[in-house]
Amino acid sequence: MILNSDSMKPIYVQIAEWLETEILSESIKADEKVYSQYQLAEMLNINPATAAKGLNILADENILYKKRGLGMFVSADAKKIISVKRRNQTLKSLVAELVREAEHLQVTEEELITMIQEAKREMKGDT
Amino acid sequence: MMYLTKVSLWDVVKKQFRFKLKSFRGMFTSLMILQVMALLFSLSGEGGGGGGTDMFSYDMKLYSGNIITAFMMIWALISAIVVTTQAYRFDDYTFVANRLSSHLANILFLGWASIIGGITTVLASQSLKLSVFFLKDREFVESQPLTVLQMAEGLAATILYLFLFTAIGYLLGMLVQRNKIFMVIIPGFLFGSLFLNVLLASESTLVIDIGQLFVRETSFLLFTVKVLLTSALAYAISAWISNSLEVRK
Amino acid sequence: MSVLEFDSVTKTYGEKKALDSLTFTLGENKITGLIGRNGAGKTTMLKIAAGFMSESSGEVRVFGKHPFNNLTVSANLIMIDNDMNLPAALSLEELLEAAANFYPNWDMKLARNLFDYFSLHPKQTHAGLSKGMKNTFNAIIGLAARCPLTIFDEPTNGMDAGVRKDFYRALLKDYIANPRTIIISSHHLNEVEDILEDILLLKDGKQFLHMPVEELREYAVVVSGKEEAVNSWLRGHEVFHKSEVSFGRTFAVIRNDLSDEQIAAAMKMSLEFSTISNEDLCLYLTSQEKGGIDDVFNKG
Repeated sequence: MILNSDSMKPIYVQIAEWLETEILSESIKADEKVYSQYQLAEMLNINPATAAKGLNILADENILYKKRGLGMFVSADAKKIISVKRRNQTLKSLVAELVREAEHLQVTEEELITMIQEAKREMKGDT
Repeated sequence: MMYLTKVSLWDVVKKQFRFKLKSFRGMFTSLMILQVMALLFSLSGEGGGGGGTDMFSYDMKLYSGNIITAFMMIWALISAIVVTTQAYRFDDYTFVANRLSSHLANILFLGWASIIGGITTVLASQSLKLSVFFLKDREFVESQPLTVLQMAEGLAATILYLFLFTAIGYLLGMLVQRNKIFMVIIPGFLFGSLFLNVLLASESTLVIDIGQLFVRETSFLLFTVKVLLTSALAYAISAWISNSLEVRK
Repeated sequence: MSVLEFDSVTKTYGEKKALDSLTFTLGENKITGLIGRNGAGKTTMLKIAAGFMSESSGEVRVFGKHPFNNLTVSANLIMIDNDMNLPAALSLEELLEAAANFYPNWDMKLARNLFDYFSLHPKQTHAGLSKGMKNTFNAIIGLAARCPLTIFDEPTNGMDAGVRKDFYRALLKDYIANPRTIIISSHHLNEVEDILEDILLLKDGKQFLHMPVEELREYAVVVSGKEEAVNSWLRGHEVFHKSEVSFGRTFAVIRNDLSDEQIAAAMKMSLEFSTISNEDLCLYLTSQEKGGIDDVFNKG
């Protein structure tokens, strides 16, 4: 993972999002241990407190759970929680932005839908 | 849980002393150079005379280690002044130190330097004697025979004199650190008193009087006590003066 | 127990107040960045904390003790700064050994490894080093001493970019392995902020801000747009900085405490929001006048 320090997003949010992506792609599976704050700090060259903040966000959302003295683990329904959250928050705001920009450029709803379908087709062609 | 290192004053002083032995080693280089110079000066002799009749004539020359001792006293004085300069004082605070430990380590170091200075002075005087024996074209060399006790007392006295001079140097140095005006006052006072001595053709002035206090002392024990007390006083005043200086800038 | 505590500490040099009732407390085992303009009192504060100078008034506590002329504080604290005094007679190798002798937690392996990594030569003298190399060497001493309170005052001055990066990385790794309280003062917040936990911002000898770095990122926001629009919207907001860009556009740095209505109102006036780097924010927060260098030229 590469941190983007120019990003609008604070570093701990970037860490949380990166871990979410890792969980979604099953790089880290349910009930597996995630990186400790110190491992993250060393990997990403950041203060351990910042790394801890990223982990704590996920713990607050029940994506991770703590085992005393052992560290943090991925909860059983972590994937579900993440995908619901991303649908409701990330995707919604991205769509809102998309619509706003389309409005700005006077792109009609049909045109916009066609563009989305085209983008999807291209992505499939690529993979 | 925070673990603080407990330190004892004496422990820190020992560490600083060891540190100073290394960092002040340049002083021993200057000591060697000075002694070689003093030895060369001494070889020309301090005084002498001559005379004769129709039948014979004689030449007489006096050689002594006085020049070597005088050079070493100046060395002791200047070394101590150097120790009080800002650069050397601040060196201590780079690592572990407080004022008291810094003064104690300095005194310990200057005491050590006096011992080395004393021993080498006595040795140099001996080598002067030998040099005169071998180098000079001589008919008679008359040297004062010394007993072991006299030798030991001579050595101890030299060391004590050097230590006294380090104490004076330390005090003068600290006065100058306190206020640069002493850089003018002290030499002014010294030379002034010597000039007065000449001008008034008087027998003594304050500076010489103080000197006599030590030189005229015939009891070795009393001499030792006088030197140590005076040195202790000078060091104590120096330490007191340094309290008004910042530890480090 | 707090490691470092300043309670309304004032330090005066003649007429000038270098510190003006400075109050703050540093908790244990945190890395704190000390930020401020030149003359804000950073070095004075650090030297008082290190026991080199005494405060004019107020109370200073390091490990619960008054640091000035205190042997225990001196044994548990190291301050690395640009005018660190090291005896000229000793070689670098001997200096490392001397330092090792003074500090019980000293890690000679770390010291030597860093020493080799940064291509220092054991026989060199400190006086013979360039400014950057001097500071590199000093920094090695600061790291290897492993003091419970470690202070770096502008440690990276003169170091090239690569060495700076390596130094901060070494600092972080050693901190993770051996947590301790560390203070770093720097002009370049952006190169150090990632490894900081807290930030302490001084201005005119006073504490201006003291908060986690991550909170500082959300402390302020930039709003920009047409001059009149920005000006009318700004009424009632806490403005840290405002300046004209060009083409009649203005941007302002304000406190990030906006309500949804305020944001909606701004959107309607087609104002734009953006974030600001911590370094720039600190510059704006500590600038003497509201405005900038451009205003000097606009005064005519």
